[in-house]
Amino acid sequence: MVVHKQLVDCPAYLGLLLACGKPHISRIMPVLTHGSPVLLCIAVLGGMGPLAAQDAEESRYREQRLAMVDLIASRGVKDSATLAAMRAVPRHEYVPTDSRRLAYGDHPLPIGHGQTISQPYIVAFMTEILQPFPGMKVLEVGTGSGYQASVLAQIGADVYTIEIFEVLATSARERLTRLGFDQIQTRHADGHFGWLEAAPFDAVIVTAAAGFIPPALVEQLKPGGRMVIPVGSVHGIQNLILVLKDESGDLRTRNLLPVRFVPMLSDLR
Amino acid sequence: MNSFRTIAVTCVAAGTLAFQILLVRVFAIEHFHHFAYMAIGIAMLGFGVSGTALALIRPRDRGTTERWFWWASVAVPLALILSPALVHQVPFDATQLVWDYRQWLRLGLVYILLALPFGIGGLAVLLAVTLEADRPGRIYGASFFGSGLGAGLALAVLWFLPPVEALAVPAAIAALGTLAAACDRKKRSSALRVAGLVLLGSAIVVVRPPWQFSLTPYKALPQVEAYPEARRVAERISPLGWVVAVQAPAFRYAPGLSLRFRGELPQQTGLFVDGELASAVTDWSEAESAFAVLDWLPSAAPYVLGGRDGVLVIGGGGGTEVANAQVHGASRITAVELHPALPELADRFGALPRNHGQAEVRWVIGDARHFVAGSRDSFDLITLGPGAAFGAATAGVHALGEDFLHTREAYAAYLSRLRDGGVLSVTGWLALPPRQNVRVILTMADALRQVNGRVEDGLVVVRSWGTVTVMGKPSGYSAEEIRALRTWSAARNFDVDYPVAEVPADPFNTLDAPVFVEAAVAAVAGRDEASRFGETYPFDVAPVTDVRPYPHHYLRLRSLGAFFKSDRGTWLPFAEWGMVALLATLVQSVVLAGLLLILPVAVRSRTSGESGLFPIVAYFSAIGFAYLAAEIAAIQQLGLLLGHPVYAVVMVLAAFLICSGAGSAWSDRYRHAEPATVAGILVLVLAVFAAILPTVVHLLQPAPLPIRAVAAFVLLGPVAFVMGMPFPIGIRAVAGSDSTRTAWAWASNGFASVTAAPVAALLALELGAVALLVASGLAYGVAALSAQLPRAVRR
Repeated sequence: MVVHKQLVDCPAYLGLLLACGKPHISRIMPVLTHGSPVLLCIAVLGGMGPLAAQDAEESRYREQRLAMVDLIASRGVKDSATLAAMRAVPRHEYVPTDSRRLAYGDHPLPIGHGQTISQPYIVAFMTEILQPFPGMKVLEVGTGSGYQASVLAQIGADVYTIEIFEVLATSARERLTRLGFDQIQTRHADGHFGWLEAAPFDAVIVTAAAGFIPPALVEQLKPGGRMVIPVGSVHGIQNLILVLKDESGDLRTRNLLPVRFVPMLSDLR
Repeated sequence: MNSFRTIAVTCVAAGTLAFQILLVRVFAIEHFHHFAYMAIGIAMLGFGVSGTALALIRPRDRGTTERWFWWASVAVPLALILSPALVHQVPFDATQLVWDYRQWLRLGLVYILLALPFGIGGLAVLLAVTLEADRPGRIYGASFFGSGLGAGLALAVLWFLPPVEALAVPAAIAALGTLAAACDRKKRSSALRVAGLVLLGSAIVVVRPPWQFSLTPYKALPQVEAYPEARRVAERISPLGWVVAVQAPAFRYAPGLSLRFRGELPQQTGLFVDGELASAVTDWSEAESAFAVLDWLPSAAPYVLGGRDGVLVIGGGGGTEVANAQVHGASRITAVELHPALPELADRFGALPRNHGQAEVRWVIGDARHFVAGSRDSFDLITLGPGAAFGAATAGVHALGEDFLHTREAYAAYLSRLRDGGVLSVTGWLALPPRQNVRVILTMADALRQVNGRVEDGLVVVRSWGTVTVMGKPSGYSAEEIRALRTWSAARNFDVDYPVAEVPADPFNTLDAPVFVEAAVAAVAGRDEASRFGETYPFDVAPVTDVRPYPHHYLRLRSLGAFFKSDRGTWLPFAEWGMVALLATLVQSVVLAGLLLILPVAVRSRTSGESGLFPIVAYFSAIGFAYLAAEIAAIQQLGLLLGHPVYAVVMVLAAFLICSGAGSAWSDRYRHAEPATVAGILVLVLAVFAAILPTVVHLLQPAPLPIRAVAAFVLLGPVAFVMGMPFPIGIRAVAGSDSTRTAWAWASNGFASVTAAPVAALLALELGAVALLVASGLAYGVAALSAQLPRAVRR
């Protein structure tokens, strides 16, 4: 399937269509899949140039990704599982095609509909603060591009993620499946009410600014659980807050750092 | 003297200035306020560039000048249509400027397109001046008068049309100028046909603008409107803001709600001003249990401290704090709200809780400072909630905006309206790094001292996970009240930072450092201790006053370098966006004005071998700066007098421009007037103005708005009249000399005008309005001295 996708994209395949004189996919596809090995060889050899280019591009992205993670580590994120996950998850797959060249800069990027994919440092910081471990059950409110959920899933967490905007929820679901993160549970819903059927959670991570901490999310947090949420004025600056629920259910908060959000929904997206 | 030409100039000036004001509104709504001012600053370069260009490339003869003037008058309305139409096609995203170079190219394109109508408008005025070179005062007067008229028209249009549609009106005004110019042509009939077409085109554009409203998707309004089942239920337009009400099941607003609250929030309607969330309206009557949420908000803290029968809510907005007062037993509630649409929509979509007594609620539309200064009422509680403006301020977005609600004089005025045992409560968002709430603590203590209140036991600070409530009680809190407050706070996971508990406990909400405890201890210890605390704090958190009313400005310029080098340098953008934008505006103004205005003239000057130009440069630079500085100082102080910055801007522009226009025209009567004399007179005038303005503003504050408006005009008029004279007198003095000297006069004045706006804003921010007026007077002094130098601006 992957080969087909690459062939469809490559000029050699287009050349093959023209060479056959009948540029009609339904006629050509059987040839590629079941037909002449000669034609298939021509096609594959013809496609090697672009494939090599694609490999080079992936290699470049990987270098940029490693440099990005080095930067994040130098800014104080120490959790090895978090850093390893961020080295593995291809952030450029989560941004629009025309923004890929900027995918590994330490800043947020627009993903359409007034939403953004978060600054990598903030993703790392929020992930680390949750103290993630394999098998940890995490609720994410605000799927956005799905990048944050992927980082958590890469660590081995069982991720449940909610998105209020249907377009984003759908595209994130497709992207996560395509990238092999099909174990992440996604839902198009209002995150204010959490995910009651799957509760309680070891951790809750909220990536949308709010003027208050939704009571349902507090309730769905396990005793001993941790929640990280940007709260405060929904206009420009919020505080990233860590909410700790102790074994007896008592709550404490800690103000971590300021984060800049676009109103209502965040840069962290 | 040609009357048609004068009318044409008046209309062109009116159209371009109305365009400028409307453009600021449109940019502020569609993007963010910073970019509006940055863009307009550059657009103003258009005036300067056209002046310099014309001084360097003079028309061959009078016939050519007349022809150029005609075509310029035709081009102005067309540019006023094309400019916004093309700007709206540029996919500019201000949020991506930092890391996407393409946005800079787009911003540059926006600048060029915006500069177009100003450049052509400036050209038309200057060509008219050239045609009347021996009596420039009248043409300048017409230009000033037209600009003043344009300011008033822009304000009037905003009452009837949304800003984006209103943007089409200036072209129609300028087209009337084309018509007037046509009447002056030798081939009048063909000129009239052209003018008729332009007028018809402008009229069509007013009915159907060729551009569409394009709100940035990062503002709150488009975000909430994208929620499932969201619907816009009301819309109001006025110069005070574009107000939209939206209902969506997913929209909820409960600032600072306790973590311990368990329950449902009632249905709410979001109120948005200029696309930003301003408030929310709640139908408290819908579910009887819904109002329970009110007691779990931090702003309910003052009600724990005993009966609060008469309550004044400042910034009533959507009515949440009004409902809060009623639920807690208030029977007489006064809510002051600046924006008339908010109470109207609160009344339409909300309702007060039932079964909680019959409160008498009175809404006052207007400025709270004016109300407090003029009211004879007294209250048990005066409360300022965590409104949206306060929230936005935490982003440093409004660092440059005047706010007279949080000055030392404001807090003292509120405290003086309290009954015996009354409380002043101020709740604000806790923004990191802590600045705003620290200033509130220091200001509250300072104001308590000012009204001879008990500071040592009259100050309370309560903190939630995201808000800080500071309460001042001039008669002092009893131990019993403090105990009750601690119990109430603990039940909600709120911390009482001050008074400090005798037995310290682990806080519910932890900060990196206990700054609010330290600030309150220092504030109570005395003014000297409070000052010492403020001096050592990383940000400027000292109380501000009415002459320097910038309570949301915290960055110290002198510590900027050190701050960047510190570990928390990366916090700067979070703290002081407004200041960063202002410095960026200053840099771009100096660079671009230098390149476009000064450099060409300098090159020309070098090739022509002209010397002794310093007095001309000094004179025209000084009067350019002085005019802008006085204007900005007046806008700041009239904000307090008239109660709204929009009224202040329009009043100052109208009064300054119309009266300066009259002064300019009047100067033609004194053809041999010495520039030094007029500039010298202005030194005295501004000294007197600086001395009396703050006092007069405070004295007039209780008067009704029409009286304050007339008084403002009377106050500004004579000053502006004299300020209209130095430029035409100076230009007349150099008009007879060679073109290089004239070019330098234009370039210097243009450069000073463009760069003076950010410089004056910085001065106002750091030193206040009085200092700015003094700086303006000193600049006129420099102009007077320059005019006395050999080969100076004199006949």
